[in-house]
Amino acid sequence: MNNIWGSMEQYDPVVWNWIIAVYLFMAGLSAGSMMVAIGLKWYRQSRGLPTEGLPVIKAAAIVGPISICVGMALLMLDLTKPFEFYHILLNYNFTSVMAWGVLALLFYIPLVFVFSGLIFEKQLLSLAPWLSGVAKICRKLENSLNKLIFVLAIGVGIYTGFLLSALISYPILNTAVLPALFLASALSVGSAGNVLVATLFFSKKESDCIEQVHRIEYPVAFNEALCLVLLFVGLNFSGPAAQAATAAITTGTWASVFWIGVVGLGLVVPVLASTISPKSWRHTKGFLITVSCSTILGVLALRHFVVYAGQSYIS
Amino acid sequence: MTKRYVLVHDENKCIGCQACNVACRSENNVPESVTRIQVRVEGPYGNFPNLHFKYNRVSCEQCEDAPCVKVCPTGAAYVNDDGIVSINEKKCVGCLYCVAACPYKVRFINPETRVPDKCDFCKESRLARGEDPACVSVCPTQALAFGDANDSTSEVSQLLDTKNHYQHKVNLGTKPRVYRIPSRKGGIKV
Ligand code: SF4
Ligand code: SF4
Repeated sequence: MNNIWGSMEQYDPVVWNWIIAVYLFMAGLSAGSMMVAIGLKWYRQSRGLPTEGLPVIKAAAIVGPISICVGMALLMLDLTKPFEFYHILLNYNFTSVMAWGVLALLFYIPLVFVFSGLIFEKQLLSLAPWLSGVAKICRKLENSLNKLIFVLAIGVGIYTGFLLSALISYPILNTAVLPALFLASALSVGSAGNVLVATLFFSKKESDCIEQVHRIEYPVAFNEALCLVLLFVGLNFSGPAAQAATAAITTGTWASVFWIGVVGLGLVVPVLASTISPKSWRHTKGFLITVSCSTILGVLALRHFVVYAGQSYIS
Repeated sequence: MTKRYVLVHDENKCIGCQACNVACRSENNVPESVTRIQVRVEGPYGNFPNLHFKYNRVSCEQCEDAPCVKVCPTGAAYVNDDGIVSINEKKCVGCLYCVAACPYKVRFINPETRVPDKCDFCKESRLARGEDPACVSVCPTQALAFGDANDSTSEVSQLLDTKNHYQHKVNLGTKPRVYRIPSRKGGIKV
């Protein structure tokens, strides 16, 4: 039966859809892979170890720029006026988290390309010798540039969380835990992405340098799990509408996405894989590929869960 | 800001006839598939024979602390000196952030302009001529009152001074400027 007041279609609480979820994933992947690569560089430098030609860092130089560009392309296509996206680069309303995000990305994206350019300097210069002057300057500034990229990557990772938490009427989204959760999961998907690409394309020995990346896995997984617990425990204490939203993890499709995707693939599989699996497996290609794919799917599920379940419960 | 335009919806007088909905559509050329106001008939509430319906007006609340304005990255969603939350079509990129941020879910994308649309109290047409918004003028039971709440002699001030009233979702701190006079029968259920 039709309502006498008309169609309810435009009142669907889910405004942002999977395109935004994938964008948030891509932005997290890019930011995470940069943080992991630069962090690894610093770690090795501080120990006097060589950093040239590390597979994981090479992988980041591929993952970082490609994923952010795919993400931006999706984001643009999702605008109702994609050809007028440049307005977003000209007008800034600084009460808007999105404006801050655009500003961070405006610097982040070119710098990620500079990062890659320096990693693949030889290949780049053989293709475009006229860039050698620029490359020299960038090489001189490399240390400061890396610091800047690291800070901007934290910014990008966190802003994607604040973007959603600014939506005040959705209890699952409107919490301060969300940015922390997004940052932690950006780190885990970033390291998984780096490991995956490194294993597939750059490592010659099976165990090439994946050790240090593994080292951040536990604390990151722990933080992610903690954020999820805080999120849902917090909802329980934030009034009836928020309490009702905890149904997101007990009923419906999104509950399965949460338990199977976010918790299962994203947290349980990787943690079990690196604790109970036989030592002899751990550095085999197949193992590394499986575990990193599992983490990546888990984070993809997390972004979808947050975007959809988050918008489905409105206070 | 010297004026403070508010709208008062008396849920006792409302009969849910949708005259406001239709008048708004024709005044503002709202495309068929979308709408700026609805009056939802909710219920019945109560126990037989004391049944009653609730008439819930759904339209932009002209929040004083409007989340849609805060989140808009380009400033396309803005508030003027007149205090009315408006949209600058030229600056808008259609990111839907404001649509997602509005707690009252009253913003929608106009299929013709590809830009968010919503009630603006008819500010460019009727209000500019000194008339009431179309919905207020057309209401057959005078369930709607519109005016300046800063003027203590205005109809809205007097209504708000003398009648019990409430606003939707005040806990979110948006300070909505649509006030509702609850039905005498039964309590407030928002
Ligand atoms: S009701 Fe929604 S669209 Fe209207 S001012 Fe408030 S937040 Fe903005
Ligand atoms: S859709 Fe337009 S008005 Fe709404 S937040 Fe985006 S740019 Fe601003």
